[in-house]
Amino acid sequence: MTGSAVSPSPARRLGLFARIYRHRADYLYVLPAIFVMLMVIAYPIYYTIYLSFFNTPPNLALEDKIFVGVDNYSRVLMSDSFHEATWNTLVWTFWSTFFAFVLGFGAAIGLNRVFPGRGLLRGVLLIPYVISAVAASYLWRWIFHSDFGVIGAITVATGLTDRPINFLDNTQYVMASLIVVNVWKEFPFAMIMMLAGLQTVPDQLLRAARVDGAGAWSRFWHITVPHVRSVMLVTVLLLLVTNLNSFTIPYIMTGGGPAGASEIWITHIYQIAFGRIRFGLASAYSVILFIVMMALGYFYVRALTHGDDKAPR
Amino acid sequence: MSAPPAEAPAGRRRREPWVTVGTLLLLVLTMFTVMPLAWMLVTSIKTQFAATQYPPEWFPAHPTLEEYWRLLSPASVIGQEFLGYLANSVWVSFATTALGVIVAVPAAYAFSRFRFPGRNLLFYSVLLRNMFPAVVFLMPLFIMMRWMGLVNTHASLILTYLTFGLPLSIWLLKGFYDNIPVQLEQAARIDGATRFQAFLLIVMPLSSPGIIATAIYSFIMAWNEYVYALTFVNEKSRLTLSVGLHRFFSEFATNWPGLMAASFIMSVPVVILFLFLQKYFVKALTEGAVKS
Repeated sequence: MTGSAVSPSPARRLGLFARIYRHRADYLYVLPAIFVMLMVIAYPIYYTIYLSFFNTPPNLALEDKIFVGVDNYSRVLMSDSFHEATWNTLVWTFWSTFFAFVLGFGAAIGLNRVFPGRGLLRGVLLIPYVISAVAASYLWRWIFHSDFGVIGAITVATGLTDRPINFLDNTQYVMASLIVVNVWKEFPFAMIMMLAGLQTVPDQLLRAARVDGAGAWSRFWHITVPHVRSVMLVTVLLLLVTNLNSFTIPYIMTGGGPAGASEIWITHIYQIAFGRIRFGLASAYSVILFIVMMALGYFYVRALTHGDDKAPR
Repeated sequence: MSAPPAEAPAGRRRREPWVTVGTLLLLVLTMFTVMPLAWMLVTSIKTQFAATQYPPEWFPAHPTLEEYWRLLSPASVIGQEFLGYLANSVWVSFATTALGVIVAVPAAYAFSRFRFPGRNLLFYSVLLRNMFPAVVFLMPLFIMMRWMGLVNTHASLILTYLTFGLPLSIWLLKGFYDNIPVQLEQAARIDGATRFQAFLLIVMPLSSPGIIATAIYSFIMAWNEYVYALTFVNEKSRLTLSVGLHRFFSEFATNWPGLMAASFIMSVPVVILFLFLQKYFVKALTEGAVKS
C-alpha cells in the first residue's frame, strides 16, 4: 500500500498519511455510504468466494460445511446443464441487446426532431421500461397463453398456423418468445440513452455538411455516429450487463423450462442455491459469472471515464 | 402521433431519409408498446368467463370493474390480502427512498467537491457495484439476514434496496453537483458561512431537481424489485406486491382478469409518478453517460 503511494516528487506532494489527515473531515461525508457498502457489498463478495470452496449441507447449517477445494468449480464447468445454460445465456444476451439497441436507436432517431405530441409519445414508449417486470411477465404469459393467448389466436386467424402455438412450452420457440418480452421491456432504455446522445450532435455541423453536399448516409456516418459513439458504447455495455443479470422475466414466464430450454445462468444459479439449497456449488457458479461481469465492468468504467480525461472541470 | 409531420422543421428541403425510416419505426414500435398494455386493460375488465373464450373478444361485450372492486375492497378475502401487499410495497419503497437520499446526498457532494486520497478508488467501486448480479449477493445476504434475525422482515428488504440503489443515486447526484458552480459556495463562505452551512443553504436547494430525480428512481426500483423480495420474505402478511402477485396467481390459477387487474393496479403508481416527472426521470437515466 505505502509502497505505491510514494510519489516521485516528494517536494510537490505530501505523504499519504499527511494527505489523509488533512482531508479527514471530507471522509465524514462518504462514511455512511462506505459503511453500508462495505457491509452489504464487500463482505458478500468475500463470502461468496469463500463459500465457493466448501460443500454446504442442505439444511444450511454452515458450521458443518466441508472444504472441497476447487471441486465445486470443476463440477459446474463440467456439467451439461452449465453448457446448455451458457449457450442460452449467450443467445439471450446477444439477441436481447442487439434488438433493444437497434430498435431503441431507431426510435431515438425518429424522436430527435420537433413534432406535435413528441413528449407524449416518448412517455408512452417508456412505459414498459418503468412498469414492474413481474407485471410485464404475467401480461406476456397471458398473451402467449396456449389456449386463450391473443398471439395464438392471431396466427390462426391470419392462417399462419392451424392451431395456436404453445410458445412457452416449446423448446423451439421459448427463447425467441422470452427475448421478445425482454426487448419490449428494455428497448425504451436504449431509446432514451441514444436520444440524449443525439441531442448533443451540433445542428450547425449537420447543416454545414449538407451545404457541402454530403449525403444522408455520409452525414450519419461521419458526423452523428462519431458524436454518439461513447453513448453507444455505454448503452450497449449497460444492456449487456442488464441482460446477463436478468432473472424476473425467465423465472416467472418459464422457470427455465421446458426441459431447461430457457435456463440462463442467473436462473440456474438461483435454482441451485434456493431450489436445491446447494450454496457452495451456487457460489462457485456465481464467481464464474462474477469474473465475466468484471471484464465487462472494466470496459464500462473506461467508457464512462474516457470523457472525463478530456473535459476540463 | 397520427399527424404526418408536413415538412415542418426542414422547411422546403427534402426530408431526411433517416427521419422517414425513424418515423415508420416509431409507428411500429408504438403499436408494439401499446397493444400489450391495452390487452392488459381489456382483459382486466372482462369476466373470467369472457376471458377464456376462443377466439378472444377484442373488446368485452359486457365490461365490468368487478375484479378491481374485489381487489380493493377490504371486505373480500382477496381484497384484504392485496391491500396488505400494497401497503407493504408502499412502506418498503418509501423507507428505501428516504434513507437512500439521506445517505447519498453527502457522499455525492463529497465525490463532486473534495479531492481526498482514495476518492477515485472509492468512486470506481461505487460504479462497479452496478455490474454485480443480484444473485451473487443473494446467498451471502440471505445468510447475513438470517444471522441478524432479519429474515421475513421489511428491514431486510429496505437495507438491501438501499445498497443497490446507492451507487446509482451517488452517481446521479454527483452529476448534478458537478453542474453547480463552486463559486456560489465560495461566496457564501466569504460571507461567513461554514462549509456545512454553505452546503445546506446554497447547494441543497439548487440540487433539489437532482434529489427529486434520484428519489423517483429509487422509489421505482424498490417498488418493482423482485428477486430479493422473493427470497428474503416468505411470511404471507409481509409480502410486497411483486411477490404477492405470484401467490395470487398460483392460488387462483385461472383468474386472468383478476391477475391483469392486479398487475394494472401495481403499474399505476409508477406510471403516474413517471409521467408527471418524466423530465427528471430521463435526466436521471442519461446523466453521466451523456456529456453535452
